[in-house]
Amino acid sequence: MTRLDTPRLVLRHPEPGDWPAYFAYCASARSPLGVDCPEGKAWTNFAAFFGHWHLRGFGRFVLTRRDTGAAIGHAGPFRPAGHPEREITWTIWDPACEGQGYAFEAAVATRDHAFRDLGWPTAVSYIDPANTRSQRLAARLGAVIDPAARPPADFPAEVWRHRRAA
Amino acid sequence: MTALSSTPTLTTARLTLRAPQAADWPHFLAFALSDRSSFVRAPDIDEGKAWRGFGHVIGMWVLRGYGQFVFHLTGQDRPLGMCGPWHPVDWPEAEIGWSVWDEGCEGQGIAQEAARAARDHALGTLGWPTAVSYIDPENHRSIRLAERLGARPDHAAAHPFADEPCLVYRHPRGAP
Repeated sequence: MTRLDTPRLVLRHPEPGDWPAYFAYCASARSPLGVDCPEGKAWTNFAAFFGHWHLRGFGRFVLTRRDTGAAIGHAGPFRPAGHPEREITWTIWDPACEGQGYAFEAAVATRDHAFRDLGWPTAVSYIDPANTRSQRLAARLGAVIDPAARPPADFPAEVWRHRRAA
Repeated sequence: MTALSSTPTLTTARLTLRAPQAADWPHFLAFALSDRSSFVRAPDIDEGKAWRGFGHVIGMWVLRGYGQFVFHLTGQDRPLGMCGPWHPVDWPEAEIGWSVWDEGCEGQGIAQEAARAARDHALGTLGWPTAVSYIDPENHRSIRLAERLGARPDHAAAHPFADEPCLVYRHPRGAP
């Protein structure tokens, strides 16, 4: 089991016990699924985290805080069928943990993991043009919009292309 | 590859039933995108939705400790379909599901042989007190299979599909 360590976080594989925190996020206004999110839809997405790890041998990590142990989000390599390219994603589940650099910390660690351990030649992040918070994070990571790259068919996103860490 | 840990394997006269593997994906996808799966998936299926669906099949094993088995003829690799325990979080009760991916193996009792083994596994090894199968009323082939397995309609039982028509077949305890 791959585990990544950052100063304030342990990034580990998802576990069944993460479900309540993940579902609370899915059924919040901060999630694309929204407050009316059917429980079954969130469950399918959650189950698919494990499926992705099994099918690809890599996947998105759950962010746990070193100080509290709480699971506060997910981040990392994502490559579902139907998406044009391999992606680095990040999501904070707990609104109380936003604005403290946790997503940045996790995004750096998982991006470096993808380039270093998984040998990815390149990586993108698909970001909603209205998601200014994520755009700022991508820019801090050194990513730039790649106007030539196309987004997933079902997600009219801007494609931010990452650079390997110096 | 991240393997599922400690998943059981079932064997029948002709078949091996095992947990899903990455190599099953193209077979699952071909089934999901074909007309053959129309009773068991969303009408707007695409590759991405099929991927999430197969991820769900695998994740069920992690989340519940059981899940659907992929079955193939013993001694051959080609997966023919999947069947077995299935219980998404918002379903009223646990199900025995089945789908035959490979049209070429229909009419030989293969699905029945696989579904019976998976059903007996759920009611026996897993100790389920009862099990149902949710079936579209138009899915005559699946209804015949449920009846051959000894399942009977339970008109009082709830089903997970809101206003859509759905039959609930309840399985008998023990082999019929």
